[in-house]
Amino acid sequence: MRYVKLPNENFDEFFNSLKNWGKVYAPVKQGNIYTFKNVEKLSEVSLNYTRTMLPPKKFFVKPRDEMLRLKDSRWEKCGEAEKTVLFGVHSCDIHGLQILDKVYLDEPADPYYKERRENSIIIGISCMPDEYCFCKSLGTDFAMSGFDLFLHELPDGWLVRVGSVRGHEISWANEELFEEVSEDDLKNFRAFEERRAKAFKKKLNKEGLADMLDLAYDSPVWKKYEKICLGCGNCNMVCPTCRCYEVCDKWINAYEAVRERRYDSCFMVSHGLVAGGHNFRPTRLDRFRHRYYCKNYFDPEAGFNCVGCGRCDEFCPAKIEHVKVLDEVREALE
Amino acid sequence: MSEDTFQTHDARILEVKDLTPREKLFTLRFADPELSRNFKYRPGQFVIVDIRGFGEFPISLCSTPTREGYFQLCVRRVGRMTKYMHELKEGDIVGIRGPYGNGFPMEVMEGSNLVLVAGGLGMAPLRSVLWYAIDSGKYEHIYLFYGTKSYEDILFRDEITHLLKHGEAMNCTVKLAYEVESPSCIYLEKGFAPRVCKGVVTDLFRGEEFDVTNTYALICGPPVMYKFVIRELLDRKLSPGRIYMTLERRMRCGVGKCGHCIVGTSTSIKYVCKDGPVFTYWDALSTRGLI
Repeated sequence: MRYVKLPNENFDEFFNSLKNWGKVYAPVKQGNIYTFKNVEKLSEVSLNYTRTMLPPKKFFVKPRDEMLRLKDSRWEKCGEAEKTVLFGVHSCDIHGLQILDKVYLDEPADPYYKERRENSIIIGISCMPDEYCFCKSLGTDFAMSGFDLFLHELPDGWLVRVGSVRGHEISWANEELFEEVSEDDLKNFRAFEERRAKAFKKKLNKEGLADMLDLAYDSPVWKKYEKICLGCGNCNMVCPTCRCYEVCDKWINAYEAVRERRYDSCFMVSHGLVAGGHNFRPTRLDRFRHRYYCKNYFDPEAGFNCVGCGRCDEFCPAKIEHVKVLDEVREALE
Repeated sequence: MSEDTFQTHDARILEVKDLTPREKLFTLRFADPELSRNFKYRPGQFVIVDIRGFGEFPISLCSTPTREGYFQLCVRRVGRMTKYMHELKEGDIVGIRGPYGNGFPMEVMEGSNLVLVAGGLGMAPLRSVLWYAIDSGKYEHIYLFYGTKSYEDILFRDEITHLLKHGEAMNCTVKLAYEVESPSCIYLEKGFAPRVCKGVVTDLFRGEEFDVTNTYALICGPPVMYKFVIRELLDRKLSPGRIYMTLERRMRCGVGKCGHCIVGTSTSIKYVCKDGPVFTYWDALSTRGLI
């Protein structure tokens, strides 16, 4: 990994230079939540944000997305990917994007996702966990790849890890803004990481988690949560790795139609429904369990599907906590 | 290739045939001759039919790849999309993308006995296997056990009666079980007893002996049917690895993106569209929720 240093006095200029690479989106405070929004000035950005409500997946798999447009009874592909710079992405969300990559870039690749991914620059930023974060337990608290630049907070600036050639090109274009990293900077970087590691309040016991859950298929805990869960699907919408979508054809006028896709949720009754009326997940119990199994599926090559960002806990109207559910399931089994 | 993952290709309806009051058989060919020539598929695979501006739906191919130049889809009128499909006439154009899914491993099964067990609309994908096996002549003996509601519901009735009459000459034994009695069924039963009888599909196993070391079972039918058929096969000590089933799920993309067909638990997750739709019974034992 290549490391450089960005002193605080150059930060503003560096941020402004990012506009040369695309439209800059960064976390901004909006009411009670944070959201990735187009920004012009560094002062608009909340550098110490906890988590945005919608993860950066919204730039690649849009909540509503026009796929095809009907022209002379043939489909034409919609949409050009705009050049974007995602500034201030946390490491859990970078891991989340890599999980989405695995699904969407697997052959045959999703053309929309692929194009958007290729046209985006990811700039990560270090963070301090709050009471919902459990990324450390899942090993997603530090991104080793999946970003172009990653900024780590130092007392007098930023330690920048360069994660790709494109990242290198960005730092190269602003060569005069960067310095070489000193011993002190590395010491400060390590001190920050240590402080951060100690700040985690929530911990997920992932020892044998996949097997434990499989054995707990008929656990009474699922039945308990079936009654608490409202089945609203909020957790799906805010999850950085949930990606189910539903497709629908819409007529704009008498001779023009679009094929649109939008987020779907496995908590909806229609998610498992097939023609003829058979439903493969007819009860809320089935659907609740399905989400937990999907998130905690352990892929030997890529790990769990959950990145521990804490969004599903924070935005659950029934205050269901992911880690607590899993702990209870484990307890009931023992 | 990825540029047109979701693009559908023009296919013309060559023929529409009423199979039953609910099911129609559509014979199609790609409008582009090159595409038509290059369209290769395996029995058990499916395509996505696109009625542009109205929606898409997955349908299994029910024709055999041994007969080239066209492909066939058996569509039951059961929902919004299939209602549109049933309104289409000869000469109309629909969009097609695919084929998708793994299909049956026909090469692996060469030289063995095939026991096809179909229930209702499950006959459609197995018809592809049936004619592939008969056409290729590479299989020891082919059994088709077909369970149907009534005489009127028998899919491909002329083919089934033809095989009831002349099947043995093609190494093929067809047996039929019906649930609702009617004069036509009784007439059929008189002609072909004991191969035609009143009952359910598992009744057709009675009196049949298979060499389980050289037999594969292929099952397709409504979700409730699998359990009973599999019990019958396991009683005869057929290995779970030799039992193939083709499954149905909600599907939007056909290529493992949209997430609806995900089945399984934390230790094993399968996408029915790309890891299936053909699974062995062993897969079902190791992945919860498949059947």
